[in-house]
Amino acid sequence: MIVAETCRQFLSDCGINPDRLVLEWASAAEAPRFVELITGYVNSIKKKGGVGSCEGEADAETIRRRLDAAVKAAQARKPRTALGLLAKKLHKKGEYTQEAIGKGVSSKILPALRALRIREEIKLLLAGASMDVDELCKVLSAGPDELEKPLAEMQKKGVVEVHDGKFRLAGK
Amino acid sequence: MAQENVLEKENEMAQEGFEPRILGFFCHWCCYAAADSAGVSRYQYPPNVRVIRVMCTGRIDIRFILEAFRCGADGVFTGG
Repeated sequence: MIVAETCRQFLSDCGINPDRLVLEWASAAEAPRFVELITGYVNSIKKKGGVGSCEGEADAETIRRRLDAAVKAAQARKPRTALGLLAKKLHKKGEYTQEAIGKGVSSKILPALRALRIREEIKLLLAGASMDVDELCKVLSAGPDELEKPLAEMQKKGVVEVHDGKFRLAGK
Repeated sequence: MAQENVLEKENEMAQEGFEPRILGFFCHWCCYAAADSAGVSRYQYPPNVRVIRVMCTGRIDIRFILEAFRCGADGVFTGG
């Protein structure tokens, strides 16, 4: 449930409707229930249309780029540790309400995932063109304060260079 | 011109009825068995779901789901 909630929040951060992901239960003896669940779900997706065509979703190209970055972010150690720690904490307290899980995920796991996603996305964007901070903010739909840290760190590591106020990947 | 034709065709297809691609992660002991018995007892259900059987729903990782969407799935159904 924690993984599902994390995914849901992260998907909506990437510009995808979180209702595209569901977690349901049907026991081995509940074939009619299973059929009901799957039919209802397929119909709801049919109504929504393809990824990117539902209300409140980003366009297909943006979603694709964000998911590329998101997959990399999900591999990193920090959010994975955060997930394990949160699961441990909630288990200790015995709190399994949707509210408690949602709150824990949005305060403990999502910020780490989002920061990493933004960092990876900056790399992908700058590989194609050089951009200044305002442009990056606009494409990433992030605030300048969120970009400050990753950009500074990447500059320090020599991954990114600045020319005339525009960022670009080093060695290009 | 060719591009326009493709777009027109896509629009037509969308109007005719959109068939979503859905990825299902089914637990071997519960939902997968339920899907199996639904098939055996000849219940009708939509054919849009591509199933991946996992030994337990707890095996599923955030990455599995993100990767599914990245590969073009329109939805992910997790069945425990």
